[in-house]
Amino acid sequence: MNSPVIDITDLSKFYGKVRGIEKVSLEINEGEIFGFIGPNGAGKSTTIRLLFNLIFPTAGSARIMGMDVTRETEKIKSVTGYVPSDASAYPDMYVHEFLNYCARFFRLQNGEKRIAELSHLFDLDLKRKIAGLSMGNRKKVSIVQSILHHPKLLVVDEPTTGLDPLMQEKFFELLRNENRKGMTVFFSSHILSEVQMLCKRVAIIKDGIIAGIEDIETLRNKQLKKVHVGFADQQNEKDINIKGLSDMVWGSGNTLSFIYSGDINELVSFLTNRKILNLTMEEPSLEEIFMHYYK
Amino acid sequence: MNFNLFLKEMKRNALSLLIWMAVIILLISVTMSFYGTFLENQSKILAMMSIIPKEALQFKGISNFDDLISVLGFYSANNVIYMMLLGSIFAIVLSSGILLKEEYNKTAEFLLSWPLTRSEVFVTKLAVLVVNIFLLNLVAALAGLLSMELVKREPFSVPAFLILSVYTLLLNYLFCAIGLFISTLVKRPKPITTFSIGLVLIFYFINTLSKITEGASKLGYLSPYKYADVNAFRPDYRLDLLNLLYYIGFTLLLTGLAYRFYLRKDIYT
Repeated sequence: MNSPVIDITDLSKFYGKVRGIEKVSLEINEGEIFGFIGPNGAGKSTTIRLLFNLIFPTAGSARIMGMDVTRETEKIKSVTGYVPSDASAYPDMYVHEFLNYCARFFRLQNGEKRIAELSHLFDLDLKRKIAGLSMGNRKKVSIVQSILHHPKLLVVDEPTTGLDPLMQEKFFELLRNENRKGMTVFFSSHILSEVQMLCKRVAIIKDGIIAGIEDIETLRNKQLKKVHVGFADQQNEKDINIKGLSDMVWGSGNTLSFIYSGDINELVSFLTNRKILNLTMEEPSLEEIFMHYYK
Repeated sequence: MNFNLFLKEMKRNALSLLIWMAVIILLISVTMSFYGTFLENQSKILAMMSIIPKEALQFKGISNFDDLISVLGFYSANNVIYMMLLGSIFAIVLSSGILLKEEYNKTAEFLLSWPLTRSEVFVTKLAVLVVNIFLLNLVAALAGLLSMELVKREPFSVPAFLILSVYTLLLNYLFCAIGLFISTLVKRPKPITTFSIGLVLIFYFINTLSKITEGASKLGYLSPYKYADVNAFRPDYRLDLLNLLYYIGFTLLLTGLAYRFYLRKDIYT
């Protein structure tokens, strides 16, 4: 069996006494699209910055393709791509100038051709100055620079921020295509739905600690819904006893909100027997999922 | 060293370098254009200067009024300050920002995700600093040399002028190392330009104070300006070995420490 593409062992980063991450251990295998999910400030970017040696670990170790992230950084970076969550390309450069500059670091043979292909795919105007680009276009530049050199591993940190739904879909499609060709993807996000859409496995990080590593199928099977029901008349709380219902909160005017993890058909048949004024069903926030699974 | 990064950084700083060069050339040529008028009115001017306290003139390197009559004396009393002060400000502003701006402009995450080692980034950016400061000093020296050739009435000592230029260059490199060193100590990514300029001015002020105030004469040893001998019109004017060692030693020490700190620095954007 091949060694993991990313192998993180007990990795910790403290800022003085403040915990960035603590004892994070992960193994990401070749060819995976691995999700890394957690709320803002949970330690996702800290973990990624450690992988790219932007910051140094307080304890533990991390290896990418068998190479130590603090000692063999140049070799690692020649085969990895990175889409930072909040980075800016040089504002005084033009898009084509920046991408060519990036391509020269990788000594690409067909850099111009690759840049043209990718910018066409993302509808990116190469003649624009970076300073004048919108947030979405800056993100496109960031994405293009990350895959110019056909990396074996792509690390993306909140990659869809600023991208419109059409571009998000193009980006996901690109990730799937590159993944089919063998590229491993480490996908960090706070949006569960996009992680569920792309990834096979997911690690959940909370307050700097890995709260769990799940197969996406397992997560899907225990998929949660947040339900709001407005009843026409007052209900007896004891009568509402269907399986999979939790975190019930009564609001004004006989409104009930709850998290539902059971069979949707059972819920629907339960509600059919009651007179209801309105019904909404939505994806719970990540916090609610954490509260549900990891409280 | 990475040539791709080197070229980009040189290009990025080119406009600033050209502006600084133009300002220095302008200041030197305008000052030297007064040399003829000065000679024609020397008796009046020297009489007027005789009422200025000697200490006030000493900080400009003038120990004898007659020194000003020679073209090199006039140049060193009036122009050296431009490169010693402005050149040092140029050096420290450039050096304190060259690594740090990647952090506060949020570009470090790109740069350090490309196949480069921190060592390469540091060495390349150091090379950019060395070349930029050298070019500014070269242009200033050529402007000085040319303007003196144009206005001189008698020959002047070119070796003395070159020694003066070497002192200026070494002083600028020391301030460059100071800026680089401080920038690697900064934890929160934000510009330190004002602080850096302030530092040059404080050192300059300390040196001036030590020259004009007897009680503060020892304070001057704290300032890098103390070790730049600007009395180029002295017959025994030469490069002092101890001064040379001071500049080279501290420049190498601070650059070495900056390198060491940068290699282990946590980079935030």
